[in-house]
Amino acid sequence: MDRAVNRLWAWLFTPMPLARVATLRLLVLAFVVVDVLGLHTSGWYHGWADPVWYEPLVMGKVLHLPAATVLLVQVLKWGCVAAALAAMTGRAPRVLGWTVAVGWVWYQYVAFSYGKVDHDRADFVVALALLPTVGLAHLTDRRRSEAAGLALRAVQLAAVATYFLSAWAKVRFGGWDWVNSATMVRAVVRRGTPWAQWLLEVPWTLHAFQWVLFTAELTSPVIFLLSERWRRRVVAAWFVFHAMTYAAITIAFWPHLVMMLAFLPLEQYAACVRARLHGRPGRRGGAPPGGGGSEGDPGRHERSGAAVGTAG
Amino acid sequence: MAYPVDVETGVVRLGPAAKAWRAAVVLVLTGLFCAGSLVGDDHWWPFSPWRMFSTSQAPTGTVWSTGIEVQTADAPGKWVPAPLTPGNTGLNRAEIEGRVPQIQADPSRLGTLARSHSELRPASAAWTALRVVRRQVVVVDSKPTGEVRAEVLAQWTAP
Repeated sequence: MDRAVNRLWAWLFTPMPLARVATLRLLVLAFVVVDVLGLHTSGWYHGWADPVWYEPLVMGKVLHLPAATVLLVQVLKWGCVAAALAAMTGRAPRVLGWTVAVGWVWYQYVAFSYGKVDHDRADFVVALALLPTVGLAHLTDRRRSEAAGLALRAVQLAAVATYFLSAWAKVRFGGWDWVNSATMVRAVVRRGTPWAQWLLEVPWTLHAFQWVLFTAELTSPVIFLLSERWRRRVVAAWFVFHAMTYAAITIAFWPHLVMMLAFLPLEQYAACVRARLHGRPGRRGGAPPGGGGSEGDPGRHERSGAAVGTAG
Repeated sequence: MAYPVDVETGVVRLGPAAKAWRAAVVLVLTGLFCAGSLVGDDHWWPFSPWRMFSTSQAPTGTVWSTGIEVQTADAPGKWVPAPLTPGNTGLNRAEIEGRVPQIQADPSRLGTLARSHSELRPASAAWTALRVVRRQVVVVDSKPTGEVRAEVLAQWTAP
């Protein structure tokens, strides 16, 4: 028992590169700006909706949050953008990071408290809440840290929980019969794109897709047991799935896609990009020579391969 | 709080207290997300169940989708479909679909959509009447038959 706890503890606090946290943070904050300004704007328009449609969620009841007004949505929208841009400088990561977290969550609350809750945006709260706990982290930092490990682990866990618990929700709300139901037909009828209509002519494709999706969601935690190389492949497979979903019914779980990046050696990609921009080998650009790989050796081999590649 | 500047590589460790509160936060979040999935509902957001596309749809039956139709001062008496989008009415389709019973109990609620529309789109013609229409697409063996039934659920006319 004690050994199991110790192993879990060590797994939660596996030292991971600070540069990875810095890179993920940058992506998360950039996403907040894009999301607030362009992707998820229903909260913004709720400023103009009559308060008669306001339906407080538990969070709103506990915190006594009011119905939206034009002033409130303006403050939240531009406050989020300003705080996220300021946080992207890397300064005051905790204060600015948590300001963004509060602003973004409140803005989502405004979007969701008018009768419709989107089911894909909850895991992003974990990234916003926990990435600031790492404190200062620079894009070229070569150290690994236990705080970075915990934050990245939490983001990974939340991202995978999204899949696993959505399989559970299918069983809870749709029953075990969900896999044999016409749920995907319904989705395509309601919001299918022109190039998804042929699926309705061949309904077994959508039926089979439900089995594949359900199995993939239920087995998603296996990603934690895989080698670095296979982990990247699984993340790539999930991205392909989300791209297909978007092509068929124009639904994409955008914040969740950003979360999935926590599985990737982002600091190595960032170093490659920097090296290419500056026209010099990746090593000097900050590719961590000794302390980079999160877990296991495969990452190290690939990293040295990347450095050689950019040198040429 | 600044890290030692002379250490370029290596591992930054956490003390026991720093580890304890972080682990506690992870544990609490795990508990809330699991509880939300087990017994929670949408009102628990962000700890609500992840129920995207979780409902079962019978392979034979109807798939319905709700929309609005409006009359404008420009063309009185003529119903035309209007986009039920946040940019047009302040609310989206799902938010109206979920509130059909309340709308039927008090159709004057629909008047607030016309007001929001004229604030959001001051350049376009004001809506003088608005009705909620449900289209039902008949599906047999997971395949739409082409039959569509339309039904007016509620209607509002400007006083």
